[in-house]
Amino acid sequence: MLLKVSDLEISYAKSTAPTVQGVNFELNEGEILTIVGESGSGKTTVIRAILNVLPGGGKVSKGEMIFENKNLRALDNDGWRKLRGKDISMIFQDSGNMMNPVHTIGKQFVEYIQVHSDLDKKAAYDMAIEKLVLMNLPNPENIMNSYTFELSGGMRQRVGIAMAITFQPKLLLADEPTSALDVTTQAQIVGELMFITRGTGAAMIMVTHNLGVASYLSDNLMVMSQGKVVEYGKTADVLNNPQAEYTKSLLESVPEIGGRRYV
Amino acid sequence: MSEIILRVEHLTKKFPVSGGRFLTACDDISFNVRRGETVAIVGESGCGKTTLLKTIMNMQKTTSGKIIFHDVDITQLSGEDKRQNYRNIQMVFQDPTAAFNPKMKIKDIICEPLLNFDLISKSEVENKARELLAQVDLPPDFVNRYPHNMSGGQRQRVAIARALALQPEIIACDEATSALDVSVQDTIIKLLVKLQQEKGITYIFICHDMALVNMFAHRICVMYLGNMMEQLDGDKLDGARHPYTQALLKAVFSTEQEKNQYIEILPGDIPSPLDIPKGCPFQNRCLHCQELCQQKKPDFQEIEPNHFIACHYPV
Repeated sequence: MLLKVSDLEISYAKSTAPTVQGVNFELNEGEILTIVGESGSGKTTVIRAILNVLPGGGKVSKGEMIFENKNLRALDNDGWRKLRGKDISMIFQDSGNMMNPVHTIGKQFVEYIQVHSDLDKKAAYDMAIEKLVLMNLPNPENIMNSYTFELSGGMRQRVGIAMAITFQPKLLLADEPTSALDVTTQAQIVGELMFITRGTGAAMIMVTHNLGVASYLSDNLMVMSQGKVVEYGKTADVLNNPQAEYTKSLLESVPEIGGRRYV
Repeated sequence: MSEIILRVEHLTKKFPVSGGRFLTACDDISFNVRRGETVAIVGESGCGKTTLLKTIMNMQKTTSGKIIFHDVDITQLSGEDKRQNYRNIQMVFQDPTAAFNPKMKIKDIICEPLLNFDLISKSEVENKARELLAQVDLPPDFVNRYPHNMSGGQRQRVAIARALALQPEIIACDEATSALDVSVQDTIIKLLVKLQQEKGITYIFICHDMALVNMFAHRICVMYLGNMMEQLDGDKLDGARHPYTQALLKAVFSTEQEKNQYIEILPGDIPSPLDIPKGCPFQNRCLHCQELCQQKKPDFQEIEPNHFIACHYPV
């Protein structure tokens, strides 16, 4: 087992009730888990807690997170620095925002590789190019010389994924990786994520509000609402035979091609 | 079929960019809007759908073409005539948070259009606001709230109430549900349909989600790179014959896993609108592209009754 999370509880301030409560799940090597839920359900909070990057004073107040027999809650800053970006890495909703707009993508990509390895500049550059090629990006040299705002949303997201998979992480965390994209680009990126995870054997936890993407991509599905897990199981079971009322109503409200019509 | 109330004829909108070049946001767009119907305009970012809507709203001038609303070309209106025309076409925006002044109470937000046109006096604001809130299924005591005290779905209902205030014939919605959660989106669409059936309102609904418009649109117009690609009835979407429309339909992930095996991935990226290729704008991504497509831009023609398409080789 790669990751085991038990009875996770996350609070943002001492005085208020916990934001997320009672999250339990297990993830094996190469598995894809999708967490779906509406805004404010705590789904992003969960994956941010796994990487210990909770914003604004958020803290794991209870529970255990075991990654490869390491207790993540006991890690110090040094331990985190070794883990992050190497064994566990993250893909954000808009990878453009995670990068510095006044430096070229190449400069940041090379810096990132050098921080986590002993490679010299030339080797790091070649490695970066190789990863960009893997993500079907045409003219990788051009992209290395570009700034984030010069690329389209789909290309930026591909760069973000290329960076996240550089060191063949065992666990990828993806926070709404396709939500800001157009439908045809979304289909491309989802296809590439599938290819990458299946190809490298990386496990992935993806947060999304798009149940269709979850249905296509994931082995296991977790439905969250108001900080609690409403339903968790094999994707096919949850979708075809939902038990919780909330899951049922959520599934009913998803528009489908050739589905219901109100007029 | 009901009467045509709005006719967009050969509308073109170009924006000047540096170097004396022009960005063509809308190229020769024509379509009709019938009373009490929903026309959905679907396309990806940069296809010119918002520009089209802003032009119909008379928020910007056209480069050429006409927009005829009840026999009057509204692009030629100016001054008080133009202002009065805003009473007939109202708009609901994508982000209800950005669409309101955060310092105004809900009752003032909803009744501002009525006060602008001197239709009610200030003493009537409270009662009128309660009445309008009831129409969008919100509790009347919301009148004294501020926008930040409400959820996204509630705010979008307020935006709809404000658009309804002047009893317009047409409400234009610019991605009115895409910032909302899926269950909230469903209730907003139901509300829009209910209001349409009660009052006979006409909607022009801009959207990028084929599955969503498939639920409630009477007519669907598909745009790509400023061009109209296909126009067909909302209940005949499975008869779409333009390769781009089909690509959009095949890119939608379904919650039913067996349907997802038909997902097809359209290769490539949208070209820059500054150098649109000669010939068909969709040629570099089209799986059925042939020599003629690179030479000549296809005409927008009727291939079946009420089904228009711009393609040399419909599939």
